[in-house]
Amino acid sequence: MNWQKILIIFRKELLDLFRDKRTIITSFVLPIVLYPFIMIAFSSMMTRQELKLEKQDVLVYFHDTVSDEQTHRIRNALEDAEKIQVMEPLNGYDAESFLQLINEKSVQAVVEVQDSVNASGYTVYKVKVIYNKTDDKSDMALGRVENALEELESEFVGERLEAIDASRDMLDAVDVAEENIAPPSKMLGFTIGKFLPYLLIMLTISSGAVVASDLVAGEKERGTLETILVSAARRNELVVGKYLTIITISGISVLLNLFSMYLSFHYIFSQAVSSDVQVNLPIANFALILVLMIPLLTLFSAILLSISTYARNTKEANSYQMPVMMSAMIVAMISMLPGFELTPGFALIPVVNISLLIRNIMLSNFTWLNVAIVMGSTVILDVIAVGISVKLFNTEGVLFRTSDEQSLKFWGKEKANVLTPQTALLVFFFVFILLFYVGGKWQTADFVSGIIKSQLLLIVLPVILLMRIAKLNYRKTFGFVGTKPANFVVTLLASLPLLVIVMQLFQFIDLIFPVPKSYIEAMNNLVIMDDISIWTNLLLIAVLPGLCEEFLFRGYILNSFRKMGKWPAIIITGLLFAVLHMSPFKLVPTAILGFWMGYLAWETGSIFVPMFAHFLNNSLSVLIGKFGDQIPFMDAISKDDRIASWLILPAGIIFYFCLVWFKKINTQREIEV
Amino acid sequence: MIQVENLTKIFDQKSGNPFYAVDELNFTVNKGEIVVLLGVNGAGKTTTMRMLSTILRPDSGTATIEGYDILTQPREVRAHLGFLSGDTGLYGRLTAREVITYFGRLYDVSPAGIKARIAHMADLLDMHEFLDRKVDLLSTGMKQKVSIARSIIHDPPVMIFDEPTSGLDILTAKNIVTFIHRCREEGKCVVFSTHIMREAERIADRIVMIHQGKLLAQGSWEELREETGLRDLDDIFIYFVEKIVEEASDELAENTDNL
Repeated sequence: MNWQKILIIFRKELLDLFRDKRTIITSFVLPIVLYPFIMIAFSSMMTRQELKLEKQDVLVYFHDTVSDEQTHRIRNALEDAEKIQVMEPLNGYDAESFLQLINEKSVQAVVEVQDSVNASGYTVYKVKVIYNKTDDKSDMALGRVENALEELESEFVGERLEAIDASRDMLDAVDVAEENIAPPSKMLGFTIGKFLPYLLIMLTISSGAVVASDLVAGEKERGTLETILVSAARRNELVVGKYLTIITISGISVLLNLFSMYLSFHYIFSQAVSSDVQVNLPIANFALILVLMIPLLTLFSAILLSISTYARNTKEANSYQMPVMMSAMIVAMISMLPGFELTPGFALIPVVNISLLIRNIMLSNFTWLNVAIVMGSTVILDVIAVGISVKLFNTEGVLFRTSDEQSLKFWGKEKANVLTPQTALLVFFFVFILLFYVGGKWQTADFVSGIIKSQLLLIVLPVILLMRIAKLNYRKTFGFVGTKPANFVVTLLASLPLLVIVMQLFQFIDLIFPVPKSYIEAMNNLVIMDDISIWTNLLLIAVLPGLCEEFLFRGYILNSFRKMGKWPAIIITGLLFAVLHMSPFKLVPTAILGFWMGYLAWETGSIFVPMFAHFLNNSLSVLIGKFGDQIPFMDAISKDDRIASWLILPAGIIFYFCLVWFKKINTQREIEV
Repeated sequence: MIQVENLTKIFDQKSGNPFYAVDELNFTVNKGEIVVLLGVNGAGKTTTMRMLSTILRPDSGTATIEGYDILTQPREVRAHLGFLSGDTGLYGRLTAREVITYFGRLYDVSPAGIKARIAHMADLLDMHEFLDRKVDLLSTGMKQKVSIARSIIHDPPVMIFDEPTSGLDILTAKNIVTFIHRCREEGKCVVFSTHIMREAERIADRIVMIHQGKLLAQGSWEELREETGLRDLDDIFIYFVEKIVEEASDELAENTDNL
């Protein structure tokens, strides 16, 4: 790599972007103007509105069903209370008309004396206050009424005590005083720390997005990409030059945002908070946050650059950016939720870790180890993301994707589109939603028939219908063809070691993200059903899914993604397969099983092999669950539902040899073909 | 000098349904010669040009540009060629001078060298008055001149034009044709692709006809006319296309017979 070239590219991109009004406005002008404007406007509006409300009288309707001397005192107390107006009584009013009164905002609250009961010789008046919590003024009326009634109650109690010659002081037994040890700066940190991470993450990614979509997708759109590709610059120099540009622009934008935010906070708090509270914004913490934002910023930049490289034009880049931005923002909100702490597990999840760490820093409640883990894990992802960008930039199929939009239709004349990635994704989501709502309902109603119906009607039927409509032969397309018997033997041999590896993986994940015990139990109950025979159990859990799920995934979906090449097709299919299982903890293990079955399908060209593998894996789970404790040496390898970690070694070795053998069998196949 | 040897590009190779965009192509372009790559849309012209300029990588075969191999010495190849296509764009927010300078620096031309080249090209292409205007504000003809200047800022001995006149009006297209002739005068080696027969006739020293990625025929117009006994260019082209279709069906028949 020639850094001088990178610098030339970088400088040109900056010059180009600085001449773009869009960049200037979204990345620089907006942050400077926005915060002071929003904060000042917001805070002054809030205080003004509150003051206005507080000054206003509330109108209350008093309904007295008891009407004795004491209840008249209640009415008087309300009338005498400050800023409460009591409406003149109306005739023929009932509960429904009260509601109407409040809804029409004719009154803010209705105070109804419903009953008086006698308890130990004293009368207790049941008073009901009807109000509307969503109406600020009505809510305020409740407060005022309650205050007035509390005062009156204390008056009543005083009179009663006097009557028996007791002193009022006997009511005071415990005197509670509060003392908040959090210094004002920490209180401030607590408040800011909740929303600052969200704001920062959102700003970082959105300011980077505007720039990134222009940098590669924009070059494709304007037809300049070819010209720089034939220039004497290397492709990785181009990638790095553009990457640095995104980092710089979004970095400047974040800096401006933080600075502007800091100033406007300072202004607001110095104005709003009374003089006895020392306002000290922790500026050192702001600086640390800034450093922390660097790996996140570079990570976002790399992801956005990859998207821009993949997209055919800026419009497409923007629409691909949307889901990424949305998920980053949703995940970033974690800092606003109570109860989430920076656990080692969370420290490894991108965005979540930074979000929680920033909040902790604002509370001055963090360890340097935390900082190191968060930074380290983000930097690793960062390197991977940059690697992907470079790889994409060197992939001809990506750089020169044909610009004619493929039709989204898969009916009518475009029936051939049934076997395309976009139709496959649509079908997948359709099946997913059906399984979630309809399948779930069926299975709660009756488990056995529910599973059978879900597998046949929700997973297989849609695909068959689609293929019928398109007049495509699914037997031929999905690989309903025989293969060498040896392939089934390898699959059989590989099944147990693979299960061991996958279980180990699940246990490893459990170490980092502890899986709730209740969840494991529920999963076990799902696989092993005590009240049905082993044969029914195997049919439901192993045979049907083996046939039906493979039909959908390794049959329909894998073949729809075929054009993307072997590994992309296998991996995407495997991931979708994992997602369909709707279990976050098992996502990775299930995906790996999916990859294996996709690999089998691809290499053998026969769907029967993955069907057999799926059947084997699921039956083994059922059998181990049901008869595991009857196997004599089981104690040696498994304790408390956990298998011994040394097992991974023999499992890995056996699986490796299975792979080698499988490869050998199927290279022969290729030669024969 | 350009030497193309068995150049092959296969798209969708992984899908099990490969498409041979360029299939075992061979041709040579000498110094001071204009060779036109002639073929209908989708014949593999752009793919060939992109492989020669190292934007795409051939799946087999190779080519050398001024003795540099496109597979093993892509950087040297790029340094020795200029590339211009009909749909190449420019950076609209930069001025003409900035665009040309940017490419000059990417091609390792010294700042002084760039300055001198720009002055020379501005004389040549008559672009003094708009050198410091932003590209977005230029007319199509002016933009075309900037594009030409951009592609020759490093004074390459080999020029590759991929349908450079497509979408241009005749006046702007004339700029290009004039420029191509000047390239020949300067002893450069020029490949020019087009699907327009008249254009090919007007500028070509030699024609390389391709169809469905394969070489149909090559030679000067005189040679091709002699070979076919036809006068009209369209007829000559159709003659060769029909000839390979016939050959292919004969071959197919032979294969079926063998079975």
